[in-house]
Amino acid sequence: MNTSIEVNGLTKYYGQLLAVDRVSFEVETGEIFGFLGPNGAGKTTTLRMLTNLTRPSEGSALILGMDTVRDSLRIKSVVGIVPEASNVFNELTTVSNLTFTGALYGMRRGQRAGRAAELTGLFDLEAHRNRKAAELSLGLKRRLTIAMSLMHRPSVVFLDEPTSGLDVESSRLIRDIVRDLHRNGVTVFITTHNMEEANQLCHRIAVIDHGNLIAVDTPERLKQAATEAQAVEVAFDRNLDPGEEEALSRLPCVSELRALGDKYRLIASDPPCVLEAIYPFMNERGLKPVSLNTFGPSLEDVFVKLTGKGKEQPANE
Amino acid sequence: MNDTAAEAGRLAVWVGLRKAWAVSSKDMRIYYFQPAVLIFGLVFPVAIFFAFMIGRDVDAVSLFPGLIALTLFFSTTTVAPFSVPWEKMNRTFERLLFAPLSMSEAVLGKVISAFLFGLVVSIFPLLIGIIFFGSSIEDWAALVLGLFLGSLCMATMGMLVSTVRADTPPKVMMVLNVVRLPLMFMSGIFIAIPTLPYYGRVIAWFSPVSYCTDLFYRGLGFRDYFGLLTSVLMLIAFTAAMFFASVLRMRAWNR
Ligand SMILES: Nc1ncnc2c1ncn2[C@@H]1O[C@H](COP(=O)(O)OP(=O)(O)OP(=O)(O)O)[C@@H](O)[C@H]1O
Ligand SMILES: [Mg+2]
Repeated sequence: MNTSIEVNGLTKYYGQLLAVDRVSFEVETGEIFGFLGPNGAGKTTTLRMLTNLTRPSEGSALILGMDTVRDSLRIKSVVGIVPEASNVFNELTTVSNLTFTGALYGMRRGQRAGRAAELTGLFDLEAHRNRKAAELSLGLKRRLTIAMSLMHRPSVVFLDEPTSGLDVESSRLIRDIVRDLHRNGVTVFITTHNMEEANQLCHRIAVIDHGNLIAVDTPERLKQAATEAQAVEVAFDRNLDPGEEEALSRLPCVSELRALGDKYRLIASDPPCVLEAIYPFMNERGLKPVSLNTFGPSLEDVFVKLTGKGKEQPANE
Repeated sequence: MNDTAAEAGRLAVWVGLRKAWAVSSKDMRIYYFQPAVLIFGLVFPVAIFFAFMIGRDVDAVSLFPGLIALTLFFSTTTVAPFSVPWEKMNRTFERLLFAPLSMSEAVLGKVISAFLFGLVVSIFPLLIGIIFFGSSIEDWAALVLGLFLGSLCMATMGMLVSTVRADTPPKVMMVLNVVRLPLMFMSGIFIAIPTLPYYGRVIAWFSPVSYCTDLFYRGLGFRDYFGLLTSVLMLIAFTAAMFFASVLRMRAWNR
């Protein structure tokens, strides 16, 4: 089987509010599939429908060929779920959280203990194995939540913003684990509003906004869609006067000039062409570059282009 | 072919029970020793009982069936109304549903932990009655059935109460007490059902607790009202109905 998740016109209304609007896509077996969108886009709602925690208003989805609503129990035994909030049992220790989760999947006692030890190692939780979950920091709880979702060795894992609010080290650990899952043939569905994360981690990305699926493609191909959003950034050894700024904005190939602090950003679809023109410009005026950088299109540019939004999504981290 | 199907069915039931048991044993670890559970489930019934008994001129032995019933009633009904809203609030109830656990299995898990709590707790007044006040067990079947079916029935009642649309444990506890207090007076706890006035005996039919109390009276050698068979059947019927209703309400909650 090549397709692990098959989504057909999935729709969710909350009363009048259309949270997810006829979303269709497919996730291939073994791929890391990113679900990228701003706050309130419908990422969590989609994930909850796929895991049968919320009933779809319309449409349907198949996971490993099984219907998410009708075969929900069979699906749950092969699927791992990491919810948006880390809902561990605060009163239980790290290890008990893991072994209890194993018991819910019908694992035997010995199996549970072995798997729990393995996961505490993998998630770097050994030092905390006998602490009550209530005492764990946000990042540790997040790791425990993800570890719990892997107790029964699922073949499809759903993660809802697994790294949001975590420090760089914890995020990296989690990303490494997600890559490991991929190496072991596990299909990963991951929601995020962090473009860099999607860029680094995912084989394909679906962009969702206001409940609508806007694009599904590889990160590189999505970026190609925004070639006109490339740029050259330059800082000079002195301030420019308005006439010079005007001249800079009229250099060949420059479509837009933005002043950013002590730098200028020249938006262009062909950065080398700008570079050719910028040296004569500097020589004529006796300017020296303090720094000069070129930028390819970022996923953020793609995102802004696709959703027609300003930069309201600070890429946190 | 039929044999293997039956085998698979038995296996599924067994696996389901094991999962429910996992939920119960986790609940026992977490909730039995919560102060709220201990106060409402243990201290409360004993205090109420003695408050009603002070100054009444009756033979102490004849009070024990009612005391055991009251203890059983309060302890079993306290557990789920504490744990269920708590787990809904912390979204850990949802975690049970991440796993291949049906709603009936989850509800059964909750019921079993309350059932065992009540069973263990109500052994104490029984032992005190026997050791210090000369209670004697005259009908073992009635007593044991009363303990088991009564505890199961009231654990299920607690579960049903905990499905009310209230978001925090204190609010659910309040609802619980609104339900419990009238039942306490309807069920022959302070005055045995046969000696109640006519309308009291009629009302007693509507409270599941009555049948449990009545079985205790019978078990400890006092006159009962419903008879063994009626009490047993009514307890089973109430348990089944309330269990079913709980599962439906939890499903509705989960949408
Ligand atoms: N239980 C609910 N009841 C009513 N409306 C809801 C509910 N859950 C979500 N919504 C609405 O549905 C829309 C999509 O929400 P959703 O949580 O799926 O977004 P999201 O993409 O996960 O956002 P975020 O990045 O903030 O997590 C939002 O407008 C939200 O307000
Ligand atoms: Mg979300």
